[in-house]
Formats: sequence, structure tokens, C-alpha cells
Amino acid sequence: MSDFSRIMAFTKRFRDERIFSTRMYIMLPILLLFIPGMAWGFSDPDIVLPGGHQPENAMEVLFYASLGVVFGATMCAVLLSYDSVSRERASGVLELRLSQPMPRTHQAIAMILGSWQAILIPTWFLLFISVLLVRYRMGDWPSFTDMFVYFISTSLILLWYVLFTILASSYTREQGTAISFGVGLWFLFTFLWALVTTMVAYASGVSIGQENDAAWVMLEGGLDLLSPNGVYHHLLETRLPQIDRGIAAWQIWSMAFAWTVLPAWLFIRRMEKILP
Amino acid sequence: MGEVVLRLKDATYRHFLHAPSTFKPWNKIRGQGIFSANLELKKGSILGLVGPNGAGKTTLLRMMAGVLPLQNGSVHDSSQDSVASLSDTDLRDKVGHMPEQVRWQGKKTVRNALMEIGEMRGSNESRIDGLLKLVGLQSRVDSRLSELSQGMRQRLTLAAALLGSPSILLLDEPLNGLDPVASAAFVLLLRKLTEKGVSIVISSHQVEGLVEIIDRLALMHRGQILAEGTIDEVAKQLSLDKKTEVSGYGKAPDFGTYLDDEGAIKIEQFENNWRAVLEKSQVGLLQKLVAGGVDISSWIDRPPNVIEMLCAATGQSVEDVGLEVSSTSVIPLRTFRGEEE
Repeated sequence: MSDFSRIMAFTKRFRDERIFSTRMYIMLPILLLFIPGMAWGFSDPDIVLPGGHQPENAMEVLFYASLGVVFGATMCAVLLSYDSVSRERASGVLELRLSQPMPRTHQAIAMILGSWQAILIPTWFLLFISVLLVRYRMGDWPSFTDMFVYFISTSLILLWYVLFTILASSYTREQGTAISFGVGLWFLFTFLWALVTTMVAYASGVSIGQENDAAWVMLEGGLDLLSPNGVYHHLLETRLPQIDRGIAAWQIWSMAFAWTVLPAWLFIRRMEKILP
Repeated sequence: MGEVVLRLKDATYRHFLHAPSTFKPWNKIRGQGIFSANLELKKGSILGLVGPNGAGKTTLLRMMAGVLPLQNGSVHDSSQDSVASLSDTDLRDKVGHMPEQVRWQGKKTVRNALMEIGEMRGSNESRIDGLLKLVGLQSRVDSRLSELSQGMRQRLTLAAALLGSPSILLLDEPLNGLDPVASAAFVLLLRKLTEKGVSIVISSHQVEGLVEIIDRLALMHRGQILAEGTIDEVAKQLSLDKKTEVSGYGKAPDFGTYLDDEGAIKIEQFENNWRAVLEKSQVGLLQKLVAGGVDISSWIDRPPNVIEMLCAATGQSVEDVGLEVSSTSVIPLRTFRGEEE
């Protein structure tokens, strides 16, 4: 068995354990309501959003429906992966795994991929249903590039939350601490980031919440790069030409790269040194 | 038996202790652990690790399993020259490790749990089925882990340690939770493995049972190996002689009339019989007692047991210690100012 196939086999076991878990059965209705449910609502031909705005095309509807990913799928990512390391550590199975000749780096990669795929597969499936719903309701398909960016961006935000959570899981001996960290981080980036943005704007002397104020838009766009949810929306906005927040595409993709590589590197390094 | 399959040279690992101070809240210092352990593991032999709680037995096993990194020293195998040290991955390839008390849990089946570990070693399905049969879990292959008893969990952990046919097997408290019949079968299994050339290290608190199994003994205390060798060699290193246990009916005789050194005798008087333990074998004593009309029911010359060896090595006695844990885990290795002693 090659190293690659060993990692893939381990990934599959890790993924299947989570994807067919009771937790997943509990979260599936939530995902169903949040992702295709929002796509159904926002694709209503008669919908009028705050400010009298009406979505014009399929990608714009998918952009609004991405709130379901931010609110639902990321939370599910946290809840699926918070015990990836801490549970095995508490039970002693981790010690057994660490004593195997499979390099710890490979074990860490398989853990990341397994936890990620466990939330990615149902989310992608629901995103695909959302695209079909939008087509049914609006009669418009998103372009291939739109779909590509939408699916990849969603994959990335889920990966980021999985990485934060398993990193916390590897540092904590109690599962409660790991889940608190994951939920806390989710809460910060999902609900409290607007407060952080407002505080920085206030401290910088920028008018708060003025949509037409270039300084506010720039500041909000810049600060969003420091939040995974913000980067996710930046990535989606690259397919919406009517939105310009003064952030170049290369900056957005660079931050997406940083959000991916940095926690992954930290987790792999942590697993190389972890004690049972 | 004789070829060295694994050699630890000055192997050191010290756990990190939190030593927070005002300006260094996450400061850590090195605390207890293993200090310059030198140990040779011989092919086809069973080495017993014995020591009080916190002596460092589990830490030493984890070092030998490649789970804890060596901070100093090295691990060598027989195929290598004396300079090159084994890498962690090579070490893990050779060694099967059975940690203490793995609490297998969840909805996963027994077979799937073992398959998962097996894939990390490249074991195939037939090998996994064979191992489950070997440890007596063939009827529980489809049971969920959460349905297993403690003894069954121990068997599963043993099966996991045997994956990949390791040439060295490290067993941490393997008899915990096993019923007497399973323990006997376990000992038989160990014997079969050693006949195939597998070298085994066992750490156990059940020292009396351990003597029946082991070929060599290592006494540990405060992170150090105090004595190592066959049981006779260890006894000799500790200057311990064979003891004589005499039992008889009625009232215990006055040994002072038969012996010059009465201080080396412990006598227990029961209702209808008595027992005396002589610290040293006494030539001609049996003859003198019989001639003196003492009614003797048994006379046993026995080598010193492991507990006596451990007490002699550590300078402690069972009466002195009682249940107190006198190991590095409670002996402060740093002062109140956070400095190491």
C-alpha cells in the first residue's frame, strides 16, 4: 500500500465515521433548511430585499443564499470535528495510532481531509440542489465559472472552520474545551465581526455604516480579509461585478491561501509533536 | 535467546511541568521522567518492568514504542552499527505497543476498529480476522465497541498491538480486566510468541503473576532502572538470599535454641499452627527441629520474590510505605521559586 493510498484509506474511515454519525442526522435538517431553503426563498421572482433591491441573476441569488453556508454549514463543520483528536486522546486510541509506523504528518493530513469531506459532501450536494432550485424558480443557470468559484469558496470556508476546530481539539484534553473554542470562534466571525469592524471604523474616524462612503467600504472590505467569513464573501463577490469594495482579486486569493495554509501547517506541526 | 534486538543508550525523556510566573504565564520546566536509561532487549525473551506507581514504566514503554521522542540518548537495533540510531518510524515499524486501558468506544464495529489501525500498518483483512480469532474475539467481530466489556477491550488492544507482526511487543498492564482463564491463555500466547522470536516487555503491577512469565526483570524507581537481569541475577545484584518458609502444628518452637541469629526470623502464630520465615537458609536446621520434636507440616526454600527485590532496590519496606505513593510524581523536582533542583 502506497503512502497516498494509506492516507486516502484513513481519510475514508475518518469521513465515514462522521458522515454516518448521529450528529450528522441531527444536523442534516438544519443544513437542508439553511442551504436549499435560502436558495428557494431568494430565488422568488417577486422577492424584494431591503433597500428595494431585487436579485438579477442566478449568481446573485446564490450569493445571498451563501448565508446558509455561513450560518449553518460552518457550525456543522465545528460540531462534526471538535472531537477529532480530543476524543481519541481521552480514550487512549490516539496513543495506539501514534505508535503505528504511518508518519504522523500523513495521519494529520488524513484527519483534516476526513473531517473536511464529512461536511463538504453533504454541503456540496445541497449546493447542487440549490442551483437546480434557482434554475427552476428563475429560469437562469449560473455560468460554469460562477459555479466553480461558488463551490470552491464554500469548500474553503468549511476547510477553515474544520482546521480551527481540529487544531483546538489537538490542544485540549477535554472535549468541552474544544467545542467551546470552535463555537466561540464561529460566534466571533459570524456575529461579532461586524462589531469589530464598527469599533475599528469608529477609532479610525470613518463614518459607520454609510454604504456610499468610500472610506467605510474600503475599511470594511479590508477588515473582512481578517475573517474567514469575510474572505468567503470576498471570493463570491469576485463573480459579482456590481460589487466593488476596493480589494483586488489577488489580495482575496492570497488571504484565502493564508487562511488555508497557516492553520493546516499549525495542525500538522502540532500532530508531529503531540503527546498521548 | 541472546541476540540483542533493541538497545537503549542513555535514553532520557523528562515530562514538562507548568511553572507559571508573573511574566511567563506559560513557562514550563522539565520534571519527572526517565533519566539515562540503558536497557538491552534480547530476542525471544520476556522482560518484566516492575516499579511503584509513578516509577516511569509507562513513560519508558512509550519511549521504546516511538511515541515519546528521546530528548537524549538513542535507540539501536541489532541490524545497525553502534553509531546510527533508529528513526521513530523505523522503531514503530518494529514495535507493537499495547497501551494501558484503551477505552474503545463508539458505534464502530470491532472489525472496523482493527481494520483502521491495520491500514496504518498495511495489514490485510485475513491477518485481521486471524488476530481477532487469536485473541478470542471472533464471535464479536460485528459488535459495536461500546458493547465490549473491559476484558474484551483489552483483547482488542492486544490484537492491535500484534498487527504487522512486530518483532518487539510492549505491553502496559496487559492483564488488567482479564478473567483468570483469559490471563492463563494470555500467558500461553506470550510463550508462543517468544518461541517465534518475538521479544516482549511487560509492565505490570501484578508482580506475583509476572514472575511466572518473565525471563528477565528490570526494577524501576524514580525514572531510573535500578537493576536488570534474570531473577537470580537481580537477586544477586541486590545481595538477596533464598528464604526458608517453615510451617508447623501447635505452638511455634523457640528458634533461639536452634539458631545463632534469631533476628533473621519472622514468626507468625495462628490458632492451631504457626509459620516462620528465615531470611537465610540454615544448614541442619530441619534436622535439629525434628530431633527437638517440633511437628513440621511444610518446609520450603524459596528465592526472594519481586516485592522483596523492589523493596531492597528502592530501600523501602512494605510496612514503611503502605499505600503512600513515593515516586517522582509527588516528590517535588522544583522549588517554590520554580527552579529545578
